[in-house]
Amino acid sequence: MEMVIVAPPAPGRLEDLRRRFFATPLQAVVSLACLTIMVFLVWKLLNWAVFSAVFTTSGGPEACQATAGACWSVIAARWRIIFFGLYPYEEQWRSALACVAVVVMTVLSCIPAFWTGRRIALVWGAGTGLFYVLMKGGVLGLAHVGEEAWGGLALTLFIFVTTCLIGFPLAICLALLRRSELPWISRTTGLIIDGVRSLPLISILFTFAVVLPFALPQWLQGDKLYRVILGSALFFSAYQAEIVRGGMQGVATGQEEAAMALGMRYWQRISRILLPQAMRNAMPATINQFVISFKETSLVVIVGFFEILASGNAAYGTGEWRFAYVEVYAFIAFIYFIFVFSLSRYGAFLERRMSVSER
Amino acid sequence: MVSLLRNQKVRNALLQVLYVGSIAAMVLAGIVIARRNLADQGITSGFDFLFKSTGWDVNFSLLPATANDPYWWYFLIGIINTLFLGSVGLILATIVGTIVGLARTSSNDLARLLGRTYVDIFRNIPLILQVFFWYAIITHLPTPRSAHEAWGFLLTSRGLYIPFPNVGSAAFAAATVAVIAAIVLPAWLGRTSLLAQPIGQRRTIQFAAAAAALACATIILALGRLPDTPLLDFPALQGLNLRGGLRIPPEFATLAIAIAIYGGSYIAEIVRGGFKSVGTGQVEAALSLGLSPWRVFTLVRLPLALRAMLPILANQYVWLMKATTMGIAVGFTDFFMIVALTINHSGQTLEAIGILMAGFLAINLSLAAVFNRINKAIALKGNQLRG
Amino acid sequence: MISTNSTGEPALRIENLDKYYGTFQALRGINLSVQRGEKIVVCGPSGSGKSTMIRCINRLEQHNGGRIAVLGTELNDDVGNIDEIRREVGMVFQHFNLFPHMTVLENCMISPMIVRKQPRAQAEATARHYLEKVRIPEQAMKYPSQLSGGQQQRVAIARALCMQPQIMLFDEPTSALDPEMVSEVLDVMVTLASEGMTMICVTHEMGFARRVADRVLFMDGGEILEEAPPDEFFTSSRNERTRQFVSQVLGH
Ligand SMILES: Nc1ncnc2c1ncn2[C@@H]1O[C@H](COP(=O)(O)OP(=O)(O)OP(=O)(O)O)[C@@H](O)[C@H]1O
Ligand SMILES: [Mg+2]
Repeated sequence: MEMVIVAPPAPGRLEDLRRRFFATPLQAVVSLACLTIMVFLVWKLLNWAVFSAVFTTSGGPEACQATAGACWSVIAARWRIIFFGLYPYEEQWRSALACVAVVVMTVLSCIPAFWTGRRIALVWGAGTGLFYVLMKGGVLGLAHVGEEAWGGLALTLFIFVTTCLIGFPLAICLALLRRSELPWISRTTGLIIDGVRSLPLISILFTFAVVLPFALPQWLQGDKLYRVILGSALFFSAYQAEIVRGGMQGVATGQEEAAMALGMRYWQRISRILLPQAMRNAMPATINQFVISFKETSLVVIVGFFEILASGNAAYGTGEWRFAYVEVYAFIAFIYFIFVFSLSRYGAFLERRMSVSER
Repeated sequence: MVSLLRNQKVRNALLQVLYVGSIAAMVLAGIVIARRNLADQGITSGFDFLFKSTGWDVNFSLLPATANDPYWWYFLIGIINTLFLGSVGLILATIVGTIVGLARTSSNDLARLLGRTYVDIFRNIPLILQVFFWYAIITHLPTPRSAHEAWGFLLTSRGLYIPFPNVGSAAFAAATVAVIAAIVLPAWLGRTSLLAQPIGQRRTIQFAAAAAALACATIILALGRLPDTPLLDFPALQGLNLRGGLRIPPEFATLAIAIAIYGGSYIAEIVRGGFKSVGTGQVEAALSLGLSPWRVFTLVRLPLALRAMLPILANQYVWLMKATTMGIAVGFTDFFMIVALTINHSGQTLEAIGILMAGFLAINLSLAAVFNRINKAIALKGNQLRG
Repeated sequence: MISTNSTGEPALRIENLDKYYGTFQALRGINLSVQRGEKIVVCGPSGSGKSTMIRCINRLEQHNGGRIAVLGTELNDDVGNIDEIRREVGMVFQHFNLFPHMTVLENCMISPMIVRKQPRAQAEATARHYLEKVRIPEQAMKYPSQLSGGQQQRVAIARALCMQPQIMLFDEPTSALDPEMVSEVLDVMVTLASEGMTMICVTHEMGFARRVADRVLFMDGGEILEEAPPDEFFTSSRNERTRQFVSQVLGH
């Protein structure tokens, strides 16, 4: 079975390099230009972030101002406020643990073994429940900490997770309503979805935070945090609904007909036949939507929440560290990057795997 | 009764009535309650407030604006600001995205690596964080007194100062129109009246049209030039302040930069996808016809790739337009911020929200209409190429 | 309204059935009565309305005029009746329509479990019994995509049988199959017929029709043009269109 290929003599290393980067004069110019840019940037970055940077808090802000490099001591001095916001100092381990719970939950839900409706619901329900209990306390001997004291990374994660937890089922409902055979239901739903999609997220957050209290009776107003989460979930679900609907369109019509012929009722057809297949089709786009939604969580800073971006502003905003804004933003950007990059890499991996298995 | 409920037609009708009815009821109840709450605060609903003067200022406007102007004028300013910032951001993002996207599709490993790094970094950091970052950078620039200077540009914490022609605003607007015509006219000519002509002649006419429009622009600028001043006005320090040139406020510069960089990373991916979708077959066929690589690029790869990416690009542009609402984070008076300020100052909550929705709906729909037209035009070209 | 299952009722009674797609009339005044245990083969040129007719029987399509009664139950807007009829009528499709995200066994078990509320053990026993019957017990744990077309269609038959229906509908069950797989599916159908199942089969397999059918129906333009026992149908048809069609089909 083995094929014998008579390989041309392997080119030497230099020859290989020449072919790859200096084949034509234009190639050579492009290569050299890119190389210069890269070396310059990498050197600048390393020099700033590592070689001339200050890492310890021992010198205080003054030590930083003396050097041209990064002042990482601001992170060392202020990391607690970035991660935990105004959460009480002695209880911050709870906030940390809650963040770990969310990360574990996210990782678990990336494992295919958990991709049944019940298991995913279980993982997310348990994860969010654990998060909530840890943060809020008031039970199991944990001191009570109200939502107004939540902040930093924990608040960002809380808003993201609850947005998905509410938005996802809502998205499925919207998608089902939109593809309903009953014209008035599908038209009304289409109007809602397209309307929400045509608005910027900030305006929706603003409406839910500031305007909605006017339009709701007193007993329905609830906390501003939960209203904003609701708004963000609505926005998420309008986009996700179209993704789910796309997944449903990828399921052959014969599937539903077969289920009908077997006597299954509407909900049985939807839950056992349609959704499992549709969600599988929609998986890569869904992960992409999660990524986008996680990035957009940061917008709640505009309606006045103390999430990670606001706590970052606070970390450098007070007196002595005023000059160290680049370091703080770089640090927050790095945190976002880790979450977003790994999730989007995972989505790309999944997409490739699915397109291979289709062949 | 029970048997009636088991009837499919009855059920369907009932479901629809219930669904639409409950949504309508919720919306109506919300409006009624809001009107009552607002009335309690002494705010009468209605659109009369549009003609009252605002009493507050906007920090950025292309149109003349004072605190005495009525609300409707401010809404107009807001929409124009949004469209202006959006178009600037969109053009910059397209330039960035095209360069990075081409780097990502290049055959050079180093260029690809650079492009990929760019996309990976800037796509994965939230736009609002980038806005904050650039705003902090710009507002921490040196004061005008110790400003950086490079090629006549001045970077200061009070904004970016760039050289600017010394002309009246009417003449400047006319010149802008002429420059836009210089871009649009050749493309339009290429599509319609000249199709029958041989390609060489077509090119000549297109060039002539562009040149004529540009000449017009130059003449307008020269004529509209303010008396006794040089044509280009360079910013320079005078006393404690900067004089001359055009000042781009920090808020505008921040948003334009952030949108260009963030949007550029998305557009780069779209550009890459577009070029990837062009089969190697077509390119090889063109090369085998003896066309030079440059002509293969402009005649085959570019048109085909454009056709593939335009629908996605249109979505991205709509998204970019909506991203101008980040203005409120740094205090740029875009449409949304004007609405928010209106609610703060006048209390006309429902009306302002209604105007907000209508405004964005109009922006979305008109953008969609423009892109549909371009799409059709490009699709036509694609067919000619195939035929 | 639900009428009782009196023994005198035919398995299926169709009267003056009309069906429109928009303004296009796909069925025109169909009349048909099928007794219990009877086997009907329906044939006719493409677009003649065969599929439409049998899809009306279990409400995959909604008819616009006339009446359909299945096992004495009137098929109307009453959702209870629709559910009841679908439970009692099995259907096999041209393109199998197996559920790709379930194993063969799960395909067969799902519906008895969630529709008939059978306990899992019982559903599995039934499923294995019918898989045995269609001669693929060893494939139970595979996914549909891992099976050949003939095997998939036999699974589809087993899946329908697991609901223990009283009537089976077949819509061109062999026309999507490679020729060498046709007979394995037909064999299963012949066995099923010999056990007394009431069957309505849309097919162009004339050999099968000859062996099994009690009556052969010829449809064209949304009407039943001819209805006769197979011998008569193939040899001495009165209708010109039928004779033409038969000679075409047999000629191949
Ligand atoms: N969903 C539909 N919408 C509109 N017209 C339809 C639809 N389904 C079928 N038709 C039309 O109804 C007529 C009958 O279709 P039907 O599928 O019943 O034919 P058939 O006899 O089964 O043909 P074939 O042998 O090709 O399966 C055809 O003219 C077809 O075009
Ligand atoms: Mg058919």
